[in-house]
Amino acid sequence: MDRIELLSPAGDLERLKVTLLYGADAVYIGGEKYSLRANATNFTLENIKDACIFAHKLNKKVYLTLNIVFHNEDMDGVDDYIKDVVDAGIDAFIVSDPFIISHIKENYPQVEVHLSTQNSTSNYKAIEYFQSEGVDRVVLAREVSLMDAKEMIEKTGIDIEMFIHGAMCTCFSGRCALSNYVTNRDANRGGCAQVCRFAFKTDLEKDFTMATKDLNLACYIGDMIDAGIKSLKVEGRMRSLYYLATVIGTYREIIDSYYNNTLTDEEMKILEYRLSRVANREVSTQYLMKEADYKDQYYSGRQELSNQDYLGLITGYDYENDCLIMVERNYFKAGDKIEFFTPTGKVYSYVVDKIYDEDMNLLEVARHPEQVLKLKFPEELPVYSMARLVTYEG
Amino acid sequence: MKLLVELQKYEQVDADGLILALKDFSAQSPATYTKEEIKVIIDKNKDKEIFVSINKNIFNKELDNLKEQLLYLDKLNIKGIFFYDLAILQLKKELNLKTDLIWNQTYMVNNYRTCNYYYSKGVKYALLSKEITLEEILEINYLSKITPMVEVLSMPSVAFSKRSLVSNYYKDLNKDPKKEITVTEKLTNQKYMLIEDKDGTNFFLKRITNGTIVIKDLFEAKIPYIIMREYGITSELFREIIIDTKEYIKGNCQDKDYLTKYQKLGDDTNFFFKKTIYRVRKNG
Repeated sequence: MDRIELLSPAGDLERLKVTLLYGADAVYIGGEKYSLRANATNFTLENIKDACIFAHKLNKKVYLTLNIVFHNEDMDGVDDYIKDVVDAGIDAFIVSDPFIISHIKENYPQVEVHLSTQNSTSNYKAIEYFQSEGVDRVVLAREVSLMDAKEMIEKTGIDIEMFIHGAMCTCFSGRCALSNYVTNRDANRGGCAQVCRFAFKTDLEKDFTMATKDLNLACYIGDMIDAGIKSLKVEGRMRSLYYLATVIGTYREIIDSYYNNTLTDEEMKILEYRLSRVANREVSTQYLMKEADYKDQYYSGRQELSNQDYLGLITGYDYENDCLIMVERNYFKAGDKIEFFTPTGKVYSYVVDKIYDEDMNLLEVARHPEQVLKLKFPEELPVYSMARLVTYEG
Repeated sequence: MKLLVELQKYEQVDADGLILALKDFSAQSPATYTKEEIKVIIDKNKDKEIFVSINKNIFNKELDNLKEQLLYLDKLNIKGIFFYDLAILQLKKELNLKTDLIWNQTYMVNNYRTCNYYYSKGVKYALLSKEITLEEILEINYLSKITPMVEVLSMPSVAFSKRSLVSNYYKDLNKDPKKEITVTEKLTNQKYMLIEDKDGTNFFLKRITNGTIVIKDLFEAKIPYIIMREYGITSELFREIIIDTKEYIKGNCQDKDYLTKYQKLGDDTNFFFKKTIYRVRKNG
C-alpha cells in the first residue's frame, strides 16, 4: 500500500527546494497566470521546469494551481499556457473549472488533474460526476468531516486530498465575493483581500468579526492515514522558508513515526509544541471531527501572534575557524539554548557561547537581522539547515 | 425577454415566472418551500414558468433526501432547477430526470467556454454571475450556446458560510441569540445584512442593485430571461416594478419614463459597468 502523501506549498524555487528537502512528497505551486495567489511571487515557466527537474530527481512531484474562476478574457492563451506547463514536466494541475479539466484530459491524458478545493466538493455524488470527467484526485471542501471523507473513498475509490494545516476561509471556498464587493478585488481570480479578517461595526458595543482560527490536524494524522486519505495538504504558498521547514519537517516526523509505530505521546507533545511556535494564530481542528463552532473563530480584530524563535539560516561552514556560517533573522545572545535542525531530520542541541561576525570579531549579542554570523561548531551541516531558539521545557 | 422573480413570500404576481427555493436545499434565499408547497404553487400558476432553486452545498447525509426531492419535482411541471452542487448534475444523469437545469454557481458563471461545457453536458440554462460586466455578459450570450439568465434587480448575495456567525457573535456578547444582523464595513461604510439559518450564514449587500438601465441592452442582445429579487424592497413597490418592467419589455424597452421612474431605486449598477481587479502588484 502506498504511503500517504505530504503535500507542501511553495511560493518560489528556493522554498520548493527547502520543503522537498525537509520531507514533502510533493509541492504545489502557482504560475504567473491563473492561480489564486495573483499577488504572490509566482513561478515563471523556466522556474516550473527547474522545479520539476529538482523534484523528479528526488522522485517527488510538482503540481500547478490553475484554479482561478475564469472570465472570458482569461481564456485567451490558456490552452498554450497549459501546453507549456505540460512540456515543463508538471505532474498534475489543480483545477476548479470543469471546462479546463476536460481540456486537459482530452489533450494531455498523461497528466493528472486534481479538483481544487475552490469547488468546495462536499459529497460523493459530486465526486462521481468529476470522476466521470477524468478527475484523478479531489481536494475536499474544508467543511468536510473525516467520516464523510471516508465514506467518499469507500463509495468512489477516488484519491482524496485534505487540508491539515494553515489558514482557513470563513465561507465556502468559491462562494465568497466579499473581496469583490468591499475592495473590488476579485477573490476567485486570486485577488482575495481577506475581508473575513476585517472587523465590522454594528449597533452593539463590540465589533463583529468572523475570522477563523487556523487549522492544525497534527493529532489526527493517524486517523487520516487509517481512513485512506491519499494526500495531506499544508496551506500557505506565501509562507517563509522557516515556516515550511518547521511545519513540513514536523509533519514528516509524525507521519513516519506513525507508520513505524514509534509515535509516543511525549514525542507528539514536542512536535505539537514545535508547530505551535511557528503558528501566527490560535489553532483548531475545525470541521474534521465535528461541526466548526463558537470556539473555532475570533471575536476581536487582532488575531496575529508572532514569535522570534527563528534565529537564522545556515549558509555554509568556515573550515579555517571551525564555525557554522549563518544569516541572522532574530536576536539571540550567549547562553541561549538553541537547536540546529536539518533537512535530514537530525536536530543538534547547542548552547550559544561566543558569537562572531563574518570577520571573526566577537559580538556581544546578535541583534541585526540579515547580518552574517559565525558560531563555533565541530561539523558542517547540510544546506538549508536552520537555527531556532529552544523554549520547550517539557 | 421573460421576467422571473423571487418573492419574499409567495403570492400571485404578474411576472412570467417564479423562482422557488426548495426547503432544506437552498441558500441565499429569503423564503423556502417544501416540494408539496411547490406543487400547490405550480397548480395555481399554470400560465407561469416555475423554476426551483436547489443551490446549497450538499453533504453525504443529504443525498438520499435530495434524490427523493428530485424525483418528486421531476414529475411536476417545472421549467428548470437552479443548481450549485454538481451532485445534482450527476443525479440528473443517474435518475434520467427530464427537468432542465440552470447552472447557478453564484460567483463562478463567468465565461463562455465553461457555459458551452455545461451545455454539452445537457445543462440548458446559466444564471450569469452578478460580478461580471455587461460587456462580458453580452460576449457570453454571443459566444455560448447556453441560454443565459441575468439578475438585474436585487440586494446581492455576496457570500455563504457554513458557520453560525451571527449566533456566535451574540453568544460572545452574552446576549440572547439572534439570526440576523446588519454590519458596516469601516472603510467603505457599506452595510451588509447577515442572515443565519440551519445551514450557515448568508451575506447580502444591503444596497439594491438597480440594473433597470441595462434591460434595454439585454433585450436588444436577445437575452431570454432577466431576474428580479424582492428581498430588500417593499412588497408594494416590487409589484409595481414587475408590472412596469413587463410593460417596458412589451414596448421594446423604448419607454424612457420607466428608467426615470426607477432612478428612485438608486444608481448602484453593481458590476455591470465596473470591472474587478485581482493583481495589485507585479511579481518580483
